[in-house]
Amino acid sequence: MSALLSVQGLTVRAGGKTVVSDLSFSIGSGERMGLIGESGSGKSMTAMAITGLLPPNISVTGSIVLDGQEIVGTEDKHLNRLRGVATAVVFQEPLTALDPLMKIGKQIAEPVRRRLQREQGRASRQAVGREVLDLLDKVALPQPERIANAYPHEVSGGQRQRVAIAMALACRPKLLIADEPTTALDVTTQAEILKLLDGLVRETGMALLFISHDLPVVAEVVQRVMVLRDGIALEEGAVIDVFANPSHDYTQTLVDAARMFDEALGRTGS
Amino acid sequence: MTSLDLSTDRPARRHSLSLSIGLALVGLNVVVAILTLFWTPYDPLNASGGRLEAPSWLHWVGTDRLGRDYLTQIMIGARTALIVGTGAVAIGASIGVTLGILAAFATRLLDDVMAATLDILIAFPTLLLAMLVVAASDSASLWSAILALGLAISAIVARLTRILAKRVLRQDYIIASRTSGTSWLGVVAWHVLPNIWPTLSVNFALQFGLAVIAEASLSYLGLGAPPPNASWGRLLQEAQGTVYTAPVGSIAPGIALVALVIGMNLFADGLRDVGDPTRRRSR
Repeated sequence: MSALLSVQGLTVRAGGKTVVSDLSFSIGSGERMGLIGESGSGKSMTAMAITGLLPPNISVTGSIVLDGQEIVGTEDKHLNRLRGVATAVVFQEPLTALDPLMKIGKQIAEPVRRRLQREQGRASRQAVGREVLDLLDKVALPQPERIANAYPHEVSGGQRQRVAIAMALACRPKLLIADEPTTALDVTTQAEILKLLDGLVRETGMALLFISHDLPVVAEVVQRVMVLRDGIALEEGAVIDVFANPSHDYTQTLVDAARMFDEALGRTGS
Repeated sequence: MTSLDLSTDRPARRHSLSLSIGLALVGLNVVVAILTLFWTPYDPLNASGGRLEAPSWLHWVGTDRLGRDYLTQIMIGARTALIVGTGAVAIGASIGVTLGILAAFATRLLDDVMAATLDILIAFPTLLLAMLVVAASDSASLWSAILALGLAISAIVARLTRILAKRVLRQDYIIASRTSGTSWLGVVAWHVLPNIWPTLSVNFALQFGLAVIAEASLSYLGLGAPPPNASWGRLLQEAQGTVYTAPVGSIAPGIALVALVIGMNLFADGLRDVGDPTRRRSR
Protein backbone atom coordinates (compact mmCIF):
# COMPACT_ATOMS: atom_id res chain seq x y z
CA MET A 1 0.00 0.00 0.00
CA SER A 2 1.58 3.28 -1.08
CA ALA A 3 1.57 5.85 1.68
CA LEU A 4 -0.79 8.75 1.06
CA LEU A 5 0.55 10.57 4.06
CA SER A 6 3.99 10.01 5.48
CA VAL A 7 5.10 11.88 8.59
CA GLN A 8 8.76 11.56 9.57
CA GLY A 9 10.32 13.03 12.70
CA LEU A 10 7.69 15.76 13.00
CA THR A 11 8.51 18.27 15.71
CA VAL A 12 6.34 21.28 16.47
CA ARG A 13 7.49 24.05 18.80
CA ALA A 14 5.30 26.89 20.00
CA GLY A 15 6.56 29.64 22.27
CA GLY A 16 9.68 27.75 23.38
CA LYS A 17 7.65 24.68 24.29
CA THR A 18 7.80 21.47 22.32
CA VAL A 19 4.23 20.48 21.54
CA VAL A 20 4.95 17.52 19.28
CA SER A 21 8.31 15.78 19.30
CA ASP A 22 9.77 13.40 16.76
CA LEU A 23 6.47 11.94 15.60
CA SER A 24 6.48 9.44 12.74
CA PHE A 25 3.59 7.61 11.13
CA SER A 26 2.05 6.99 7.77
CA ILE A 27 -1.40 6.47 6.33
CA GLY A 28 -2.02 4.52 3.16
CA SER A 29 -4.78 5.52 0.76
CA GLY A 30 -8.13 4.38 2.05
CA GLU A 31 -6.71 3.57 5.46
CA ARG A 32 -8.40 4.75 8.65
CA MET A 33 -6.17 5.77 11.50
CA GLY A 34 -6.87 7.22 14.92
CA LEU A 35 -4.80 9.65 16.93
CA ILE A 36 -5.61 9.42 20.63
CA GLY A 37 -4.56 11.53 23.55
CA GLU A 38 -5.87 13.88 26.18
CA SER A 39 -6.13 17.60 25.54
CA GLY A 40 -2.76 19.26 25.06
CA SER A 41 -1.15 16.08 23.83
CA GLY A 42 -0.44 17.61 20.42
CA LYS A 43 -3.14 15.83 18.40
CA SER A 44 -4.65 18.93 16.85
CA MET A 45 -1.23 20.51 16.29
CA THR A 46 -0.26 17.45 14.28
CA ALA A 47 -3.42 17.78 12.20
CA MET A 48 -2.84 21.47 11.56
CA ALA A 49 0.77 20.77 10.60
CA ILE A 50 -0.47 18.30 7.98
CA THR A 51 -2.71 20.97 6.44
CA GLY A 52 0.22 23.39 6.55
CA LEU A 53 -1.96 25.98 8.23
CA LEU A 54 -0.07 26.53 11.48
CA PRO A 55 0.60 30.21 12.16
CA PRO A 56 4.12 31.35 11.21
CA ASN A 57 5.20 31.81 14.85
CA ILE A 58 4.94 28.06 15.39
CA SER A 59 8.00 26.22 14.14
CA VAL A 60 7.64 22.91 12.35
CA THR A 61 10.57 20.62 11.59
CA GLY A 62 10.77 17.13 10.18
CA SER A 63 8.99 15.94 7.10
CA ILE A 64 5.36 15.60 6.11
CA VAL A 65 4.80 14.18 2.64
CA LEU A 66 1.17 14.32 1.55
CA ASP A 67 0.24 12.85 -1.81
CA GLY A 68 3.83 13.19 -2.97
CA GLN A 69 4.22 16.79 -1.86
CA GLU A 70 6.44 17.90 1.01
CA ILE A 71 4.46 20.20 3.31
CA VAL A 72 7.07 21.39 5.78
CA GLY A 73 8.82 24.50 4.51
CA THR A 74 6.77 24.74 1.32
CA GLU A 75 5.39 28.11 0.36
CA ASP A 76 1.75 28.69 1.03
CA LYS A 77 0.70 29.33 -2.54
CA HIS A 78 2.04 25.95 -3.65
CA LEU A 79 0.18 24.25 -0.83
CA ASN A 80 -3.03 25.95 -1.86
CA ARG A 81 -3.25 23.72 -4.92
CA LEU A 82 -2.96 20.68 -2.69
CA ARG A 83 -5.65 21.80 -0.27
CA GLY A 84 -9.06 20.44 -0.92
CA VAL A 85 -7.57 17.98 -3.39
CA ALA A 86 -5.55 16.03 -0.86
CA THR A 87 -7.07 16.95 2.50
CA ALA A 88 -10.14 18.43 4.12
CA VAL A 89 -10.82 18.95 7.79
CA VAL A 90 -13.89 18.48 9.99
CA PHE A 91 -13.63 20.41 13.23
CA GLN A 92 -14.73 19.84 16.78
CA GLU A 93 -17.07 22.78 17.17
CA PRO A 94 -19.61 22.79 14.34
CA LEU A 95 -20.83 26.28 15.15
CA THR A 96 -17.51 28.01 14.61
CA ALA A 97 -16.64 25.83 11.63
CA LEU A 98 -19.34 27.50 9.55
CA ASP A 99 -19.44 31.13 8.54
CA PRO A 100 -22.38 32.53 10.55
CA LEU A 101 -23.31 35.08 7.88
CA MET A 102 -23.34 32.81 4.86
CA LYS A 103 -26.16 30.52 3.86
CA ILE A 104 -25.26 26.86 4.18
CA GLY A 105 -25.81 26.10 0.51
CA LYS A 106 -23.44 28.87 -0.49
CA GLN A 107 -20.73 27.65 1.86
CA ILE A 108 -20.82 24.17 0.39
CA ALA A 109 -21.08 25.55 -3.15
CA GLU A 110 -17.70 27.26 -2.94
CA PRO A 111 -15.51 24.11 -2.70
CA VAL A 112 -17.85 22.30 -5.12
CA ARG A 113 -17.44 25.07 -7.68
CA ARG A 114 -13.67 24.97 -7.31
CA ARG A 115 -13.57 21.21 -7.74
CA LEU A 116 -15.78 21.22 -10.85
CA GLN A 117 -13.68 24.00 -12.30
CA ARG A 118 -10.59 21.92 -11.67
CA GLU A 119 -12.01 18.68 -13.00
CA GLN A 120 -14.09 19.88 -15.92
CA GLY A 121 -12.74 23.34 -16.59
CA ARG A 122 -16.12 24.92 -15.95
CA ALA A 123 -18.78 24.97 -13.27
CA SER A 124 -22.30 25.91 -14.23
CA ARG A 125 -24.62 27.26 -11.60
CA GLN A 126 -27.01 24.32 -12.09
CA ALA A 127 -24.29 21.70 -11.79
CA VAL A 128 -23.01 23.27 -8.57
CA GLY A 129 -26.53 23.53 -7.17
CA ARG A 130 -27.32 19.92 -7.97
CA GLU A 131 -24.07 18.77 -6.39
CA VAL A 132 -24.75 20.79 -3.21
CA LEU A 133 -28.19 19.20 -2.74
CA ASP A 134 -26.62 15.83 -3.48
CA LEU A 135 -24.04 16.32 -0.77
CA LEU A 136 -26.65 17.45 1.77
CA ASP A 137 -28.62 14.34 0.90
CA LYS A 138 -25.52 12.20 1.25
CA VAL A 139 -24.92 13.34 4.83
CA ALA A 140 -28.54 12.39 5.55
CA LEU A 141 -29.90 15.87 6.12
CA PRO A 142 -33.67 16.09 5.79
CA GLN A 143 -35.10 18.61 3.31
CA PRO A 144 -31.82 19.55 1.60
CA GLU A 145 -33.43 22.59 -0.08
CA ARG A 146 -34.47 24.08 3.24
CA ILE A 147 -31.08 23.44 4.85
CA ALA A 148 -29.25 24.94 1.87
CA ASN A 149 -31.25 28.13 2.32
CA ALA A 150 -30.75 28.31 6.08
CA TYR A 151 -28.06 30.10 8.05
CA PRO A 152 -25.88 27.98 10.36
CA HIS A 153 -27.61 29.25 13.52
CA GLU A 154 -30.95 28.06 12.19
CA VAL A 155 -30.07 24.36 12.27
CA SER A 156 -29.17 22.08 15.18
CA GLY A 157 -25.66 21.17 16.31
CA GLY A 158 -25.80 17.70 14.84
CA GLN A 159 -27.09 19.09 11.56
CA ARG A 160 -24.32 21.68 11.53
CA GLN A 161 -21.73 18.93 11.92
CA ARG A 162 -23.34 17.09 9.00
CA VAL A 163 -23.05 20.29 6.98
CA ALA A 164 -19.39 20.57 7.97
CA ILE A 165 -18.85 16.99 6.80
CA ALA A 166 -20.65 17.77 3.54
CA MET A 167 -18.32 20.74 3.07
CA ALA A 168 -15.29 18.54 3.61
CA LEU A 169 -16.67 15.92 1.21
CA ALA A 170 -17.37 18.60 -1.39
CA CYS A 171 -13.66 18.64 -2.16
CA ARG A 172 -13.51 14.83 -2.56
CA PRO A 173 -10.24 14.77 -0.61
CA LYS A 174 -7.97 11.76 -0.51
CA LEU A 175 -7.50 12.24 3.22
CA LEU A 176 -10.18 13.44 5.60
CA ILE A 177 -8.92 14.83 8.89
CA ALA A 178 -11.59 14.69 11.58
CA ASP A 179 -10.48 16.70 14.60
CA GLU A 180 -12.70 15.57 17.49
CA PRO A 181 -15.76 15.70 15.23
CA THR A 182 -18.15 14.32 17.84
CA THR A 183 -16.86 15.87 21.04
CA ALA A 184 -19.23 18.83 21.02
CA LEU A 185 -22.29 16.67 20.34
CA ASP A 186 -24.58 14.73 22.62
CA VAL A 187 -24.21 10.97 22.82
CA THR A 188 -27.04 10.02 20.46
CA THR A 189 -25.96 12.51 17.84
CA GLN A 190 -22.39 11.33 18.33
CA ALA A 191 -23.33 7.80 17.37
CA GLU A 192 -25.19 9.02 14.29
CA ILE A 193 -22.32 11.17 13.10
CA LEU A 194 -19.85 8.34 13.65
CA LYS A 195 -22.01 5.97 11.65
CA LEU A 196 -22.29 8.56 8.90
CA LEU A 197 -18.53 9.21 8.81
CA ASP A 198 -17.78 5.51 8.84
CA GLY A 199 -20.17 4.83 5.98
CA LEU A 200 -18.93 7.75 3.89
CA VAL A 201 -15.29 6.87 4.35
CA ARG A 202 -15.91 3.27 3.32
CA GLU A 203 -18.09 4.31 0.40
CA THR A 204 -15.76 6.93 -1.06
CA GLY A 205 -12.57 5.06 -0.23
CA MET A 206 -10.85 8.10 1.24
CA ALA A 207 -8.34 7.79 4.02
CA LEU A 208 -9.26 9.05 7.47
CA LEU A 209 -7.22 10.55 10.24
CA PHE A 210 -9.51 10.54 13.25
CA ILE A 211 -8.44 12.59 16.22
CA SER A 212 -10.11 12.08 19.57
CA HIS A 213 -9.59 11.66 23.28
CA ASP A 214 -12.47 9.21 23.42
CA LEU A 215 -11.23 5.64 23.03
CA PRO A 216 -14.54 3.89 22.31
CA VAL A 217 -15.34 6.50 19.67
CA VAL A 218 -12.02 5.97 17.95
CA ALA A 219 -12.30 2.21 18.13
CA GLU A 220 -15.55 2.32 16.20
CA VAL A 221 -14.21 3.93 13.06
CA VAL A 222 -10.50 3.24 12.65
CA GLN A 223 -8.27 0.27 11.95
CA ARG A 224 -5.06 1.52 13.49
CA VAL A 225 -4.42 3.85 16.42
CA MET A 226 -1.55 5.85 17.78
CA VAL A 227 -1.51 7.02 21.38
CA LEU A 228 0.00 10.41 22.08
CA ARG A 229 1.04 11.99 25.36
CA ASP A 230 2.80 15.33 25.69
CA GLY A 231 3.61 15.24 22.00
CA ILE A 232 5.30 11.84 22.17
CA ALA A 233 3.95 8.72 20.50
CA LEU A 234 3.62 6.04 23.18
CA GLU A 235 2.41 3.17 21.06
CA GLU A 236 0.90 2.33 17.74
CA GLY A 237 -0.89 -0.67 16.33
CA ALA A 238 -4.14 -2.27 15.27
CA VAL A 239 -7.11 -1.11 17.34
CA ILE A 240 -7.83 -4.55 18.77
CA ASP A 241 -4.25 -5.16 19.86
CA VAL A 242 -3.74 -1.78 21.45
CA PHE A 243 -6.98 -1.97 23.40
CA ALA A 244 -6.70 -5.62 24.37
CA ASN A 245 -3.01 -5.61 25.30
CA PRO A 246 -1.82 -2.08 25.91
CA SER A 247 1.95 -2.21 26.00
CA HIS A 248 2.21 1.09 27.80
CA ASP A 249 0.89 1.98 31.25
CA TYR A 250 -0.58 5.22 29.98
CA THR A 251 -2.67 3.44 27.36
CA GLN A 252 -3.82 1.03 30.05
CA THR A 253 -4.94 3.99 32.15
CA LEU A 254 -6.84 5.45 29.22
CA VAL A 255 -8.52 2.13 28.51
CA ASP A 256 -9.42 1.68 32.16
CA ALA A 257 -10.72 5.21 32.45
CA ALA A 258 -12.90 4.73 29.37
CA ARG A 259 -14.19 1.44 30.74
CA MET A 260 -15.02 2.95 34.12
CA PHE A 261 -16.72 5.87 32.45
CA ASP A 262 -18.76 3.49 30.34
CA GLU A 263 -19.77 1.46 33.33
CA ALA A 264 -20.74 4.58 35.21
CA LEU A 265 -22.92 5.60 32.29
CA GLY A 266 -24.31 2.10 31.95
CA ARG A 267 -23.05 1.77 28.41
CA THR A 268 -22.29 -1.81 27.48
CA GLY A 269 -19.32 -2.83 25.42
CA SER A 270 -17.36 -0.49 23.22
CA MET B 1 -44.23 27.76 27.01
CA THR B 2 -47.24 26.68 25.01
CA SER B 3 -46.47 28.92 22.08
CA LEU B 4 -42.79 28.07 21.77
CA ASP B 5 -41.97 28.46 18.12
CA LEU B 6 -39.14 26.21 17.03
CA SER B 7 -39.67 26.41 13.31
CA THR B 8 -36.63 27.69 11.52
CA ASP B 9 -38.29 28.66 8.29
CA ARG B 10 -40.09 31.65 9.72
CA PRO B 11 -39.60 34.54 7.30
CA ALA B 12 -36.78 36.79 8.45
CA ARG B 13 -37.78 40.15 9.81
CA ARG B 14 -36.49 42.65 7.32
CA HIS B 15 -37.46 45.93 8.92
CA SER B 16 -36.90 47.68 12.17
CA LEU B 17 -38.32 50.90 13.55
CA SER B 18 -34.90 52.59 13.82
CA LEU B 19 -34.24 51.74 10.22
CA SER B 20 -37.50 53.34 9.09
CA ILE B 21 -37.07 56.53 11.12
CA GLY B 22 -33.39 56.82 10.22
CA LEU B 23 -34.12 56.18 6.58
CA ALA B 24 -36.84 58.86 6.63
CA LEU B 25 -34.57 61.50 8.20
CA VAL B 26 -31.58 60.76 5.98
CA GLY B 27 -33.83 60.33 2.96
CA LEU B 28 -35.42 63.73 3.53
CA ASN B 29 -31.96 65.22 3.66
CA VAL B 30 -30.94 63.53 0.43
CA VAL B 31 -34.12 64.62 -1.35
CA VAL B 32 -33.65 68.22 -0.22
CA ALA B 33 -29.98 68.17 -1.23
CA ILE B 34 -30.83 66.91 -4.72
CA LEU B 35 -33.70 69.37 -4.98
CA THR B 36 -31.37 72.33 -4.42
CA LEU B 37 -29.53 71.40 -7.60
CA PHE B 38 -32.66 72.33 -9.56
CA TRP B 39 -34.77 74.54 -7.39
CA THR B 40 -34.60 76.61 -4.22
CA PRO B 41 -37.34 78.92 -2.86
CA TYR B 42 -35.13 81.92 -3.61
CA ASP B 43 -31.78 82.56 -5.21
CA PRO B 44 -29.33 82.04 -2.34
CA LEU B 45 -27.77 85.45 -3.08
CA ASN B 46 -31.10 87.24 -3.45
CA ALA B 47 -31.18 89.74 -0.58
CA SER B 48 -34.58 91.15 -1.41
CA GLY B 49 -36.22 90.29 1.92
CA GLY B 50 -36.18 92.51 4.96
CA ARG B 51 -33.44 92.20 7.57
CA LEU B 52 -33.95 89.39 10.09
CA GLU B 53 -37.57 88.86 9.17
CA ALA B 54 -39.55 86.46 11.32
CA PRO B 55 -40.99 83.34 9.63
CA SER B 56 -43.82 84.20 7.27
CA TRP B 57 -45.57 82.75 4.24
CA LEU B 58 -43.00 84.42 2.01
CA HIS B 59 -39.99 83.26 4.03
CA TRP B 60 -40.90 80.11 5.95
CA VAL B 61 -37.89 80.29 8.26
CA GLY B 62 -37.40 84.04 8.00
CA THR B 63 -34.43 85.90 6.56
CA ASP B 64 -30.87 86.54 7.68
CA ARG B 65 -29.31 89.91 8.50
CA LEU B 66 -28.72 90.62 4.81
CA GLY B 67 -32.32 89.79 3.93
CA ARG B 68 -31.59 86.46 2.26
CA ASP B 69 -34.09 83.62 2.53
CA TYR B 70 -33.09 81.37 5.39
CA LEU B 71 -34.81 78.20 4.18
CA THR B 72 -32.83 78.36 0.94
CA GLN B 73 -29.56 78.48 2.84
CA ILE B 74 -30.49 75.61 5.13
CA MET B 75 -31.47 73.52 2.12
CA ILE B 76 -28.13 74.20 0.46
CA GLY B 77 -26.49 73.44 3.81
CA ALA B 78 -28.03 69.96 3.62
CA ARG B 79 -26.19 69.42 0.36
CA THR B 80 -22.91 70.56 1.88
CA ALA B 81 -23.40 68.27 4.89
CA LEU B 82 -24.12 65.25 2.70
CA ILE B 83 -21.11 65.90 0.48
CA VAL B 84 -18.83 66.22 3.49
CA GLY B 85 -20.21 63.16 5.27
CA THR B 86 -20.18 60.93 2.20
CA GLY B 87 -16.81 62.15 0.97
CA ALA B 88 -15.08 61.85 4.33
CA VAL B 89 -16.51 58.39 5.03
CA ALA B 90 -15.66 57.19 1.51
CA ILE B 91 -12.05 58.30 1.90
CA GLY B 92 -11.85 56.99 5.46
CA ALA B 93 -13.43 53.64 4.57
CA SER B 94 -11.31 52.90 1.52
CA ILE B 95 -8.02 53.78 3.20
CA GLY B 96 -9.01 52.43 6.60
CA VAL B 97 -10.38 49.04 5.56
CA THR B 98 -7.41 48.39 3.26
CA LEU B 99 -4.89 49.27 5.96
CA GLY B 100 -6.79 47.33 8.61
CA ILE B 101 -6.94 44.14 6.54
CA LEU B 102 -3.26 44.44 5.66
CA ALA B 103 -2.41 44.91 9.34
CA ALA B 104 -4.43 41.82 10.25
CA PHE B 105 -2.35 39.76 7.84
CA ALA B 106 0.97 41.49 8.52
CA THR B 107 3.85 39.96 10.44
CA ARG B 108 4.01 40.66 14.15
CA LEU B 109 6.51 43.51 13.88
CA LEU B 110 4.78 45.34 11.04
CA ASP B 111 1.44 44.88 12.77
CA ASP B 112 2.78 46.38 16.01
CA VAL B 113 4.22 49.36 14.13
CA MET B 114 0.92 49.94 12.34
CA ALA B 115 -1.10 49.60 15.53
CA ALA B 116 1.12 52.10 17.35
CA THR B 117 0.98 54.57 14.45
CA LEU B 118 -2.79 54.33 14.34
CA ASP B 119 -3.05 54.87 18.09
CA ILE B 120 -0.95 58.03 17.83
CA LEU B 121 -3.05 59.29 14.91
CA ILE B 122 -6.26 58.63 16.79
CA ALA B 123 -4.93 60.37 19.90
CA PHE B 124 -4.61 63.50 17.78
CA PRO B 125 -7.90 65.44 17.99
CA THR B 126 -9.77 65.16 14.67
CA LEU B 127 -10.79 68.78 14.63
CA LEU B 128 -7.24 69.98 15.29
CA LEU B 129 -5.92 67.75 12.51
CA ALA B 130 -8.58 69.05 10.15
CA MET B 131 -7.80 72.66 11.08
CA LEU B 132 -4.10 72.07 10.38
CA VAL B 133 -4.79 70.54 6.98
CA VAL B 134 -7.25 73.26 6.02
CA ALA B 135 -4.93 75.99 7.24
CA ALA B 136 -2.01 74.44 5.36
CA SER B 137 -3.89 74.29 2.07
CA ASP B 138 -3.85 77.45 -0.04
CA SER B 139 -7.52 78.20 0.05
CA ALA B 140 -9.97 77.17 2.70
CA SER B 141 -12.19 74.88 0.72
CA LEU B 142 -14.72 72.15 1.24
CA TRP B 143 -12.38 69.61 -0.33
CA SER B 144 -9.50 70.12 2.02
CA ALA B 145 -11.93 69.75 4.92
CA ILE B 146 -13.25 66.49 3.43
CA LEU B 147 -9.74 65.16 2.90
CA ALA B 148 -8.70 66.05 6.43
CA LEU B 149 -11.77 64.45 8.00
CA GLY B 150 -11.39 61.42 5.72
CA LEU B 151 -7.83 60.86 6.89
CA ALA B 152 -8.84 61.16 10.52
CA ILE B 153 -11.67 58.66 9.98
CA SER B 154 -9.37 56.25 8.13
CA ALA B 155 -7.22 55.85 11.26
CA ILE B 156 -10.25 54.93 13.36
CA VAL B 157 -11.63 52.60 10.69
CA ALA B 158 -8.23 50.94 10.20
CA ARG B 159 -7.90 50.17 13.88
CA LEU B 160 -11.41 48.77 14.08
CA THR B 161 -10.98 46.72 10.88
CA ARG B 162 -7.70 45.29 12.15
CA ILE B 163 -9.23 44.04 15.40
CA LEU B 164 -12.39 42.71 13.76
CA ALA B 165 -10.50 40.99 10.95
CA LYS B 166 -8.09 39.37 13.39
CA ARG B 167 -10.99 37.98 15.36
CA VAL B 168 -12.61 36.55 12.24
CA LEU B 169 -9.34 35.10 10.97
CA ARG B 170 -9.01 33.02 14.13
CA GLN B 171 -12.30 31.22 13.49
CA ASP B 172 -12.46 27.59 12.43
CA TYR B 173 -14.45 28.41 9.32
CA ILE B 174 -11.51 30.37 7.98
CA ILE B 175 -9.27 27.35 8.45
CA ALA B 176 -11.95 25.09 6.99
CA SER B 177 -12.21 27.38 4.00
CA ARG B 178 -8.43 27.48 3.65
CA THR B 179 -8.13 23.69 3.80
CA SER B 180 -10.61 23.44 0.97
CA GLY B 181 -8.30 25.59 -1.11
CA THR B 182 -9.61 29.16 -0.85
CA SER B 183 -6.88 31.75 -1.37
CA TRP B 184 -6.31 34.49 1.20
CA LEU B 185 -7.91 37.00 -1.14
CA GLY B 186 -10.94 34.73 -1.41
CA VAL B 187 -11.09 34.41 2.36
CA VAL B 188 -11.12 38.20 2.71
CA ALA B 189 -13.82 38.67 0.10
CA TRP B 190 -16.00 35.73 1.12
CA HIS B 191 -15.65 35.57 4.86
CA VAL B 192 -13.77 38.46 6.43
CA LEU B 193 -15.50 41.43 4.80
CA PRO B 194 -19.07 40.07 5.17
CA ASN B 195 -18.43 39.20 8.80
CA ILE B 196 -16.95 42.54 9.79
CA TRP B 197 -19.40 44.54 7.68
CA PRO B 198 -22.25 44.73 10.25
CA THR B 199 -19.92 46.34 12.80
CA LEU B 200 -18.10 48.44 10.22
CA SER B 201 -21.25 49.86 8.65
CA VAL B 202 -22.48 51.01 12.03
CA ASN B 203 -19.14 52.69 12.57
CA PHE B 204 -19.27 54.31 9.12
CA ALA B 205 -22.65 55.86 9.91
CA LEU B 206 -21.32 57.06 13.26
CA GLN B 207 -18.30 58.60 11.55
CA PHE B 208 -20.62 60.17 8.99
CA GLY B 209 -22.43 61.98 11.76
CA LEU B 210 -19.17 63.04 13.40
CA ALA B 211 -17.83 64.30 10.06
CA VAL B 212 -20.96 66.39 9.54
CA ILE B 213 -20.56 67.88 13.01
CA ALA B 214 -16.82 68.44 12.45
CA GLU B 215 -17.52 70.25 9.20
CA ALA B 216 -20.08 72.43 10.95
CA SER B 217 -17.45 73.22 13.59
CA LEU B 218 -14.87 74.08 10.93
CA SER B 219 -17.35 76.33 9.15
CA TYR B 220 -18.30 77.89 12.45
CA LEU B 221 -14.63 78.76 12.89
CA GLY B 222 -14.45 80.07 9.32
CA LEU B 223 -12.39 77.13 8.03
CA GLY B 224 -15.07 75.30 6.09
CA ALA B 225 -16.80 76.01 2.84
CA PRO B 226 -16.28 79.67 1.96
CA PRO B 227 -19.33 81.82 1.16
CA PRO B 228 -21.53 81.71 -0.81
CA ASN B 229 -21.63 77.94 -0.18
CA ALA B 230 -24.01 77.71 2.71
CA SER B 231 -23.05 75.44 5.57
CA TRP B 232 -25.00 74.85 8.75
CA GLY B 233 -21.94 75.70 10.82
CA ARG B 234 -21.56 79.06 9.15
CA LEU B 235 -25.27 79.78 9.48
CA LEU B 236 -25.00 79.10 13.21
CA GLN B 237 -22.01 81.38 13.50
CA GLU B 238 -23.73 84.20 11.61
CA ALA B 239 -26.87 83.85 13.66
CA GLN B 240 -25.06 83.86 16.97
CA GLY B 241 -25.08 87.67 17.30
CA THR B 242 -28.84 87.79 16.98
CA VAL B 243 -29.69 84.69 18.99
CA TYR B 244 -32.02 86.69 21.29
CA THR B 245 -33.64 88.92 18.72
CA ALA B 246 -34.03 86.31 15.94
CA PRO B 247 -33.74 82.87 17.57
CA VAL B 248 -35.03 81.04 14.50
CA GLY B 249 -31.71 81.67 12.75
CA SER B 250 -29.87 79.61 15.37
CA ILE B 251 -32.52 77.00 16.01
CA ALA B 252 -33.26 76.01 12.41
CA PRO B 253 -29.76 74.97 11.28
CA GLY B 254 -29.28 73.31 14.66
CA ILE B 255 -32.37 71.18 14.15
CA ALA B 256 -31.26 70.27 10.62
CA LEU B 257 -27.84 69.20 11.92
CA VAL B 258 -29.22 67.13 14.77
CA ALA B 259 -31.85 65.53 12.53
CA LEU B 260 -29.27 64.34 10.02
CA VAL B 261 -26.86 63.00 12.64
CA ILE B 262 -29.54 61.20 14.63
CA GLY B 263 -31.10 59.91 11.44
CA MET B 264 -27.79 58.48 10.35
CA ASN B 265 -27.24 56.77 13.71
CA LEU B 266 -30.73 55.27 13.73
CA PHE B 267 -30.25 54.15 10.16
CA ALA B 268 -27.01 52.38 11.14
CA ASP B 269 -28.67 50.69 14.06
CA GLY B 270 -31.47 49.39 11.90
CA LEU B 271 -29.04 48.35 9.19
CA ARG B 272 -27.17 46.18 11.67
CA ASP B 273 -30.35 44.44 12.78
CA VAL B 274 -31.34 43.69 9.22
CA GLY B 275 -27.87 42.89 7.94
CA ASP B 276 -27.00 40.32 10.60
CA PRO B 277 -29.04 37.13 10.17
CA THR B 278 -28.17 35.92 13.68
CA ARG B 279 -29.91 38.97 15.12
CA ARG B 280 -32.94 38.78 12.89
CA ARG B 281 -34.59 35.80 14.39
CA SER B 282 -34.23 36.70 18.03
CA ARG B 283 -36.32 39.85 17.72
